[in-house]
Amino acid sequence: MYRKQVRRRRAVLALLVVGSFVLLTITYGQGSDGVQRGVSTIFSPVQSVADRALKPARDLVNWFDKTFDARGKESRLQGELEVARKQAVGVKAALAENAELRKLVQLDRSGAIPSGYQPATGRVIARSPSIWFADVTIDVGSGDGAKVGDPVVNGDGLVGTVAAVTSGSSQVALIADNSSAVSAKVLPAGVQGVVKPNVGDPGDLILDFIDSAKHVHRSQAVVTSGWRGEEIDSGFPPNIPIGEVSRAPLEEQEAQQQVHVRPYADLRNLDLVQVLTGGWRE
Amino acid sequence: MILTPKMTARLIAVVLLAVILQLSFFSQVALFHTSPDVLPAVVVSLGLLGGTMTGAVSGFAIGFLLDCLLVQPLGGGSLVLLTTGYLAGMFRERFEIHSPLVPPLLCMVLTLFAELGFGALALMLGIDSAVSTLVVRDTLIKSIFAFFLGWPIYLGLRRLLRPALVEEPVRPRAGRRPSVLGA
Repeated sequence: MYRKQVRRRRAVLALLVVGSFVLLTITYGQGSDGVQRGVSTIFSPVQSVADRALKPARDLVNWFDKTFDARGKESRLQGELEVARKQAVGVKAALAENAELRKLVQLDRSGAIPSGYQPATGRVIARSPSIWFADVTIDVGSGDGAKVGDPVVNGDGLVGTVAAVTSGSSQVALIADNSSAVSAKVLPAGVQGVVKPNVGDPGDLILDFIDSAKHVHRSQAVVTSGWRGEEIDSGFPPNIPIGEVSRAPLEEQEAQQQVHVRPYADLRNLDLVQVLTGGWRE
Repeated sequence: MILTPKMTARLIAVVLLAVILQLSFFSQVALFHTSPDVLPAVVVSLGLLGGTMTGAVSGFAIGFLLDCLLVQPLGGGSLVLLTTGYLAGMFRERFEIHSPLVPPLLCMVLTLFAELGFGALALMLGIDSAVSTLVVRDTLIKSIFAFFLGWPIYLGLRRLLRPALVEEPVRPRAGRRPSVLGA
């Protein structure tokens, strides 16, 4: 009797292990989309309700974290404020000039969203617990016009790209996810490169493959380059803010052709985001 | 663990609730820049209460659901969490749990194991980017969170599944003394 029980246990365990490997094999044969989409479709309304219900509790816990964090940042921000005040004068002049130019070329006055794109606003309803996968689920789906590959932004800048879509929700691979790569350029230098993640640290991205002959400096802005070729193009429209250069040691630029970028968007605490639907791929 | 239809329904509810709470709450809060991961602690508690089979099956189910909802490679989460649940169940079947510190300590150790497992799996499946050393800090802090969250999770699950537990006699409530008729 006992032996039979042990044998049955071993059989169940073997079945589960083999099942896991079969699922992994199916995933890499690109055959698991239907299952995942089905489960996501069933659970996304529940997740949406849970997300809204748990928001006050989440905000309370995050308040503690932010308070601890703010204490450390205060002195550094004082210094940065001084610099920013001086720069603001120049920025005001540039804004006035920019407004004139926008009128001339009849661009969207806000300039936040490139022409041709229609933003669909959504809320983050779930997030990956593993630091190895920087993914979030949002409550915007194919019913709102979202498609795989659509860029996702928030008020601060680029957040990621849509990786999978169901009717009521989408999976967003953040720019800190290990699968992410965004073609970008540094302003005003115009140095081109690819923004890649530093897995495990969503506050530090790497602008890779830059031209080592042109030097990039700290605090320079990094935006999407949005290049277009005959056969292939970047998935992102041009000039969406990504972040600013946080570290740019000369030896790293020359030896490894890379600098470090701090994303404008707080990828750890995302709430409202916009999926840029439509655009030039339509 | 004696699995009646009612108990099976409770276990399914625990699995679903744990995954939804993890994705909608725990993954979205940060303390010391790290989000707690309660799923390994839930699997460990179920393994400690129900044995190897309960631990392995619930680990597989939680991992599968997680991978489906996050559109991650299917099977990875299942493999890691079923191993975690199996190890917790094996501990329960081979050793007596004498100290109340055992469940949280085991939650901590096996959360560390699960996080290392997730990392190893991600690296084996291929990461074409640099990996920050902050991964180590995140893994360690997640394990410490598991120590503190493991105890309430274990107690809550034990209370919920008590009717099905084989070696868990129902204790009389404190303050209520046995009375004899006519005394």
